[in-house]
Amino acid sequence: MKLFTKLTLFITLSKLAIVLLFVSLLPFLVDRIAYQYNDYYLREQKKKVLDVIRRNGIQEYLQGEETYGSYTMLKEEYISLEPAGPTVQRDTIATSRRLVEGDTLTYRVLSHTFDYQQKRYILEVGKKTATISQYNKPLQRVALSVLIGLIILTVLADLIYTRLLLRPLSTIIKTKLINPRFPFRDPLPPVKTSTTDFRYLDDMLIGLMGKIKAAFEKEREFTANASHELMTPVGILQNKMENLLIDEELDEVQEKKIMGMMKTLNRLKKIVHSLLLISRIENDQFPKTDTFSLQALVEEVMEELEHRLQEKQLRFAMEVPADVMLSGFNHDLVFQLVYNLLNNAIRYNRPEGEIFVSWQPHQLMIRDTGTGIPPEELDTIFNRFKKVERTENEGYGLGLSIAATIAQYHDIRIAVSSEVGTGTTFTLIWPYALKAEQSDR
Amino acid sequence: MRVLIIEDERVMAAEMEAFLRKVYQCDLAYTARQGLEKIEENAYDFILLDLGLPDKDGLHLLQEAKKNCPDAACIILTARGQLEDRIRGLDLGADDYLAKPFSLLELQSRMQAISRRKYGLKDAVIPLADFQVDLQKRIVYFEAEEIELSRKEFDLLSYLLLHKNRPLTRMQLSEHIWGNYAGDDYDSNYIDVHIKNIRKKLSAFASVEWLQTIRNVGYKVKI
Repeated sequence: MKLFTKLTLFITLSKLAIVLLFVSLLPFLVDRIAYQYNDYYLREQKKKVLDVIRRNGIQEYLQGEETYGSYTMLKEEYISLEPAGPTVQRDTIATSRRLVEGDTLTYRVLSHTFDYQQKRYILEVGKKTATISQYNKPLQRVALSVLIGLIILTVLADLIYTRLLLRPLSTIIKTKLINPRFPFRDPLPPVKTSTTDFRYLDDMLIGLMGKIKAAFEKEREFTANASHELMTPVGILQNKMENLLIDEELDEVQEKKIMGMMKTLNRLKKIVHSLLLISRIENDQFPKTDTFSLQALVEEVMEELEHRLQEKQLRFAMEVPADVMLSGFNHDLVFQLVYNLLNNAIRYNRPEGEIFVSWQPHQLMIRDTGTGIPPEELDTIFNRFKKVERTENEGYGLGLSIAATIAQYHDIRIAVSSEVGTGTTFTLIWPYALKAEQSDR
Repeated sequence: MRVLIIEDERVMAAEMEAFLRKVYQCDLAYTARQGLEKIEENAYDFILLDLGLPDKDGLHLLQEAKKNCPDAACIILTARGQLEDRIRGLDLGADDYLAKPFSLLELQSRMQAISRRKYGLKDAVIPLADFQVDLQKRIVYFEAEEIELSRKEFDLLSYLLLHKNRPLTRMQLSEHIWGNYAGDDYDSNYIDVHIKNIRKKLSAFASVEWLQTIRNVGYKVKI
């Protein structure tokens, strides 16, 4: 998940959680505050009454009667004063019911006992509970809407700021990580940002890309120089031998010796060629811009190999549709890849054997009826200079490693299945199929 | 025909000259400066140009050469093996390109092919004992009759004919025919198959004793 998505989710969800928590706590809180305030109010009322009694005497209320009781007009509050038994001792605030003029009403009642002129009285100050919580609902509504408004405001501010803040990061990812055109031939401009973390990241990436580019250039130069330094002496030797061979005075023994030397030199030449080819491919020196028909390519390869096929009297069959076009590849390299595989299929085949080339969507299969590859060797056949049992016509162990390098260069996967004595199948899985496979997973 | 060899490796230049002087009149230059002087002084039919010269880029020299000797055919020789060199060289008007190490036989064969292209059909039909070989149309005739050879068989025969009276090794022949496919080399023996086919096809018309086998070495056209 992208950083921005994660942050967005976190910001929204956390604010949502706060809202939910507040909504669930709000009635309880408001109620509590209302009651606390009410209790405080009742105590104040009590103090006032006691003050009046202290100043003016209890008769101010009783007016000679035994008890005193007073209600406000809508029976929302009341005060009562009664004599109490000497054992009664009370100083509480509680919610209780009172019967007032035939109605049973719930009141919050403060009861307080006090002694006045050796007589014990009980004072009650009550307030109807309905009155206490009458402002709760509107209060809650106002609080909630203010809260939601504020939350929306902060969420918006957070998201906009996060987006602005992360913009350099997404630019870095887009230009330098997701779509870097290896080997970074054109230097990318630094990303504009005042965030030091991103600055650091971007500087590091630019530095690394520069280093890779420099290493690549160096390798390119090296292959050109190595090629020159190795090939020039080989060329001189070859030409010297060729001139020697023309010499009319040469006898057969000498001729044969020169031939032997040429053969060895040729071997050296091929090895150097192959190694340079591998390092040029790895150095990205071949443009991948060709479009060609796969069927035509296999036919071209078979034309080159026809004579070998005939000599071993092999049967060759191909089922590759004519409309299979490959684009975005290097024709010469893919030719070399198919050539090397078919060449092996011929070389390791039994006389009068078969070679079958077939196509399934995005897979080219080359099946032979050859000696097969033992399972323990399957992992190493693509290694350079991998030695197999040498026969007289053996190669130098670079054919498959070149094939592997070319395949890797084009994101082609090579799969091998083999059974000793029955044959081997090499499957080239084209990158389109690889991508499809990956997205299926 | 006059050939200028511009090559800084003196030994290499000497070998090329030794090989070519039987057919061509050769001049040598070891640096770009010497090469330019020679180009200004003389008119050449061929310029064999090494790209890796010490004093100047060979491709630059190619442009100069094209100005001074517009008729000369240029063959680029290089061991740098850079693909771009080849493309740029051919873009700049080079007639052919040979990667070092190359076979002197191959060089000569390329020069002959250019001659045929540039200077008309003079030597396009070459007699070969009782046969005629038309290099332009790539057909072998016995009197008026066409003899059908495969592409590779014709390549082989014409290469042998071009270097007649010289022993050509199987390796030299296979390199000419199959080029330099990097990888494995065990082609040499297949030359025998082709030679057998050529003999079979031609001997139906006349003797092919001129196509000689040199035991363990290769083949030779002796006429």
